[in-house]
Amino acid sequence: MIYSYIKPRKKSPFTPDVQLIVSFFSIAIIMLLSTYAFLLYKDYSFVQERKKLVQNRVELSKNIDVMDEKIAYIKKQEALSQKVFTQNMVLKDSIANLFDLVPERITLSRAELLKNGLILYGVTPNRDVYNFMLQAPLRSIFQKTYTSFYEADNGWLKFVSTNYINEDEGEELNSEN
Amino acid sequence: MKINISRQQIYILLLSFFLLLFVVIFSFTLLIPEGKEYRIKRMELKKELREYNKYKTFHDDTLKTLKDLQSKDINIITAFDRPFSPDRFEKQHKTHFSSLTIAKLKRAKDIDGFSVYEVNTTSHISSPTNFYDFLDALNKGDWIIGVNFPIKFVRDGEMIKSSFTMKVYANNKDKNSTASASLAK
Repeated sequence: MIYSYIKPRKKSPFTPDVQLIVSFFSIAIIMLLSTYAFLLYKDYSFVQERKKLVQNRVELSKNIDVMDEKIAYIKKQEALSQKVFTQNMVLKDSIANLFDLVPERITLSRAELLKNGLILYGVTPNRDVYNFMLQAPLRSIFQKTYTSFYEADNGWLKFVSTNYINEDEGEELNSEN
Repeated sequence: MKINISRQQIYILLLSFFLLLFVVIFSFTLLIPEGKEYRIKRMELKKELREYNKYKTFHDDTLKTLKDLQSKDINIITAFDRPFSPDRFEKQHKTHFSSLTIAKLKRAKDIDGFSVYEVNTTSHISSPTNFYDFLDALNKGDWIIGVNFPIKFVRDGEMIKSSFTMKVYANNKDKNSTASASLAK
């Protein structure tokens, strides 16, 4: 038995209005969630990147310290070598000056260069030659000069000249070198 | 006036309200704080990057200084590293002497953190000029050597017998092993 002449239409809870609202909110929620996921990912990557940078910075800092140490050490080596080289050159000049100091008429048999003095052994024709030609320049350099003479077989005089500079000045000279 | 709202419309309104509520709560409790966090972390990263770049620049400058120093002073650095060899020394400097005798190396007191060895030397020279040449050559030699007092010159026939002490300076292996090793790299 039929109560109606029209066929009943199917009823669904998803009416066009509901579909519109659901699709609108779905898009909105997807966008919000994706933004949130993006922010979470970026935060994580920032933290990781920062950690890496800090680690690299610490590494760089350590390297800088090591390099600074090496630079300081090389500078120390350079300073010491220059000091040694200068001392050698000063020594060369001192020896050259010593040999230039000795006049032709006086013959040296032995010379001892000490840290703070000079001892000369040699022969001189007479005291005057020694006094004027060797002792005078020696006195201008050294504060203490002692000389003793012995007679040689050929009538000349053997001499031993001991010359010292004051300890303070010697130290000053050494420290300058 | 009577407002006629169907049950269907009430459902739609309720659904819309709850969805909107979810969006608002989600935004204010999670999204906005996370956004703030994002900005803070981005600023921190930028700050850290600036700091890192500063260190990097300083590191590069220091490295350049070190490399320049190493290349400029390569002879001095290797001289400090090289162990003293009496045979090699004799071979290098025998041209300045008629005869050269080198005694055994003795360890002396360290100076400025460097090892110092003393070596007594006796030689014969024909003229003081030979000794000057020797001192010049010493400064260009394979080791850092300083001629030390006392220096004795004794007439020996036509020759001059000279005896002197040399100080050989070298790296203190105990203290500076890292510096030497790093140079080798």
